[in-house]
Amino acid sequence: MTDENNDLQSPGQMFYYKQTAAKTQEKWMFWLFRIATYIILAAATFLFGVIIFKGSQTVFQANFPFVNWEFLSSKPQTLYVFEVDGEEMKLPDSRYREFIAEHPEKTPDEVDTYSYSGGGIFPAIVGTVLLTIGSMIIALTLGILSAIYLSEYSKPGTFINLIRLSIVNLAGVPSIVFGLFGFGMFVIFFDWNVSLLGGCFTLAFMVLPVIITASEESLRSIPQGFREGSLALGATKWTAIRTNVLPYALPGILTSSVLGVARVAGETAPIMFTAAYALRDNLPWQGLENPFQFFFQGVMALPYHIYVVSSKIPQNEYTERMQYGTAFVFLIIVGAIALTSILLRIRMRKRYKW
Amino acid sequence: MADKLEHTPFTAESIQKKGDGFLGVEKALLIKAFFGGNALVAIIVLALITFFLFREGIEFFPQYRAEMQLFRESGQEFVGLVKEEVDQFNELQGELQDVQTKVITKLYDEGKEWEEVTALTKPFQDFVREAGASIQPLSKVVKEATTIAVGAKEKVIEYNIRKGIEGMDPSEFGFDSDEQADAFLVEKRTELTAMLPAIQEANEAFRVGLTATLENVPTVELPEAQLALDAYVKKAKKFLNKVTDFEKKLESYDPNKPFTMGQTIGGFLLGADWITASSWQDFYGIWPLLSGSLLVSVVALSYAIPFGIFAAIYINQVASPKEQNFIKPYIEFISAIPSVVIGFFGIAILGTFIRNASNWAFLSWLPFFPISERLNAYTAGTLLALMAVPTIFTLAEDALNNVPKAFKEASVAMGATRWQTIWRIQVPTALSGIISAVLLGFGRVIGETMVVLLCAGNRIAVPDLSKGPGTFFEPVHTMTGIIAQEMGEVVPGSIHYRALFCVGIFLFFLSLIINYFAQLVVRKYKISAG
Repeated sequence: MTDENNDLQSPGQMFYYKQTAAKTQEKWMFWLFRIATYIILAAATFLFGVIIFKGSQTVFQANFPFVNWEFLSSKPQTLYVFEVDGEEMKLPDSRYREFIAEHPEKTPDEVDTYSYSGGGIFPAIVGTVLLTIGSMIIALTLGILSAIYLSEYSKPGTFINLIRLSIVNLAGVPSIVFGLFGFGMFVIFFDWNVSLLGGCFTLAFMVLPVIITASEESLRSIPQGFREGSLALGATKWTAIRTNVLPYALPGILTSSVLGVARVAGETAPIMFTAAYALRDNLPWQGLENPFQFFFQGVMALPYHIYVVSSKIPQNEYTERMQYGTAFVFLIIVGAIALTSILLRIRMRKRYKW
Repeated sequence: MADKLEHTPFTAESIQKKGDGFLGVEKALLIKAFFGGNALVAIIVLALITFFLFREGIEFFPQYRAEMQLFRESGQEFVGLVKEEVDQFNELQGELQDVQTKVITKLYDEGKEWEEVTALTKPFQDFVREAGASIQPLSKVVKEATTIAVGAKEKVIEYNIRKGIEGMDPSEFGFDSDEQADAFLVEKRTELTAMLPAIQEANEAFRVGLTATLENVPTVELPEAQLALDAYVKKAKKFLNKVTDFEKKLESYDPNKPFTMGQTIGGFLLGADWITASSWQDFYGIWPLLSGSLLVSVVALSYAIPFGIFAAIYINQVASPKEQNFIKPYIEFISAIPSVVIGFFGIAILGTFIRNASNWAFLSWLPFFPISERLNAYTAGTLLALMAVPTIFTLAEDALNNVPKAFKEASVAMGATRWQTIWRIQVPTALSGIISAVLLGFGRVIGETMVVLLCAGNRIAVPDLSKGPGTFFEPVHTMTGIIAQEMGEVVPGSIHYRALFCVGIFLFFLSLIINYFAQLVVRKYKISAG
C-alpha cells in the first residue's frame, strides 16, 4: 500500500472511486447499449447516404442551372439509345421524334428502347401532392371534430371506451388491408374505378387515428381555466370552445398532424389498387370533359412509381437513373415534411407552457 | 313585470340560457350531437372495413367448397393421389438429369471429343435412362386417367357457366339438367376407380423396376456425377418406402364423401399449397404465406427487439441530454422513411451485399453459405427491423419513463449500481410496457407490405425447416405481399379475387388480436406506484 492510498482513506477522502465487479459490468453494458443505439443511427444514415448520393446524380447536374429540370418537370418516357456518327445518343421519346424530324438523314438503323427510363417524374409528383392534400382535408375535418367531442364533451363510460378502443385498433390495421377495403368500397361498390377520390378517402381513413390522437392531445393541453373563464362570463359551451379553446389548440393540432402528412405521402399499399396508375399521359387537369372528372381519374404517385420502376419493369443500366432519382425526390419530400413536424413539435413544447 | 319575477320559482332552469333551437331540440344539444356523430368515425370506419372485407371475401368459402367438391366428384382428387407420386419422382429424376446435362456440358467445355465424353458418361447416362424408364408405365396410366378426370371436370364447369347465362340452352353443351351432369360425373368416377387394378399393377412394376435399378448403381469416374448419384440413390430409396403409402391411400379412398365446410376452412387456413391459374386445380391455402410472414418476422424481431430495447434503455437512463435531444428525433425520423424506399434500398444494395457477403471466405464454414438468391426472408427481415425499431424504441422508452422515480432512488440509495438498478428494478417494472411494445412492433412487421413485396423473393413455398438456419436465406412469399402482387391482376368476383380478400380478413383479425394482447398486457400487469 502506497502513501497515496493511505491518503485516500483519511477521513477527508471518504468517497474515493473503487472499481468493483459490478461497476465493470455496468461499464460494459452501457457500452453495449451505446453501440446498439449508434448502429441504428448508422444504418439509417447509410440508407439516406446511398439514396442521396446516387439520386442527386440524376436530379442535379454539374453545369448551369445545376438542377435537372427535365427530370422534375416532364413525364416518364421511353428512352431511345442509338448511334449517330459514331456517337452514342440517349434521348427520351419526345426529343427523339424532334431529332428525327430535324435530321431525317440521321435516322439510325438500330435503336434500343428502354421503357420508363427517360424523361422525368412530374406527373408522379403532382399525383402525390394531390393525394396528400385531398386526404389531409378529409382526415383533418373528421379527426378534429372527433377530437373535440372526445376532449370537450365526452364523459367516461362504455361509449367513450368503445371509441378509444376503435381508434387504437384502427391504428394497428395493416396498410394493405386499407387498400383492400378501399378497393372493395370505393372502386367496386361506389363504382368510382381507380380514382383520386377513392385514394384520398382510403388514405384519410388510414391516418385518422394519428390525427384524432394528436388533436385530442393538443385540445387537452389547453388549461381548464380558459374554458372556465369563458363559461363564467355566461358563454355557452360551444362559444367557449370556439373562442377560448380552438384558437389556442389549432397550431398544436396542425403541427402534430404534419407527421400524418408524412405517413400519407409515404404509403404505397393503400393506393396501389385505389388510385395509382403506373403510367398516365395526361396530367390530372388535362383532357377533362367536366370538372367532376378531376376527382374520378387515376393519378401517378411517387411511391407507386418507385415500386414500378424497381420491380415491375425489366432492369437495365438505364433504369437505375430513374430509380434513384425518384427515390431521392420522394425521400426529400417525405423527409422534409417529417423534419418540419419534428422540429415544430420540439419548438411547440418549449413555447407553450401555460 | 315585477310581480311576475316574484312569482317565478328560482330553479336551475330559470337561469339557463334559452338558445334558439331547431325542431324543438336545443342548439347546444345539436352541437354536441354533431361532434358526437363525428367521434363515431373511428367505429364506423372499423365497421366499414369489416363489412367490405366480408362482403367481397366471404363468398370465397362456398365457391371454394363447390370447386373442391367438383375436384373430388370428377375423380381428379383420386387421380391426384397417384399423380403426386409421379410428380415427386419426376422431380427427383429432373435433378439427376440436370446434373447429367451439366457434367456433359462441362466435359465439352474442357475440349473433349464426342467419343471420349460418351465413353466417360455412358454408365451414368444409362443409369439415368433406366431409372427414368421405370416410371413410364405408371405415368402412362396416370396420364390417361388425368385426361378423363380433367375432361369431365371441364365439361361440367362449362355446363355450369352456360347454365348461368340467360338465353342459352344448356342442353347444347352436353346435359339437359343437373341430374344428368351428376350422373355423368358418377360414370366418369366409376370409370376412374375401375382403373385402380391397372394403376396398382403399374405401380408394382415401377417399384420392382426402380428397386432393380437401384441395386446396380454404376461407379462413375466423374466425382461430380458420383456425388449426385449417391444423393439420388439415397433419396430414391426413401421414396420407394413411400410408394406403398401412396397405394394404401388409393385403396382407402372414397370419392363419394362430401367435401364439408370445415374441410374448406381448414384447407384455407392450413393448406400447404397456394396455386393459382393452374391447368390441374387451383388451391388456396395460406399456410405457405403465413409461414413466410412469420419467418420474415422472426428475422426482423430478432434484430429489432434487442436494438430497440437497448436503445430505449440507453436514451432513457444513460445518454446525456444532448445525445437525447439528437437521437430521439432521429429515430422518430427513421419511422417516417417510406417503406417503398426501404424496399428499393433492399433490392438495389442490401440484397446484393448479403449475397456477396455469403461468398466471403471466412464465412465459408457456415453450411448454408453461399446463398443463391439475393432476395430472401433474411434480406426482407433485416430491412423490416429498421422499420420496427422506432416503434419498439418509442413505446419501450415511454414504459421506462413511466417507472416511478422513487423506485430508482430507493435502489441507488441501497448501494446498487445504475446497471443493477436498470436490470433488476426498472426493466422488470416496465416489462409489461416493453412486451406490449414488442407486440406492436410485431404487428407493424407482419402488416408491412412494400418491403416484403420487393425483397422477400416472392416464392410460394412452405419454408423447409430441415435446412436449419439456411431456411432464413430462402425466398418466401407473405400474406401482405400476395395481396399486393395478385390483386391488380385478378378479375373482380372470381374465386381468386375472393381468396385474396380472405387473406385480408385474416390479416385484419390478426392485427386486432395482436393489438388486443398488447393492451391486455399493459392493463393486466400495470404496476401501481404506491
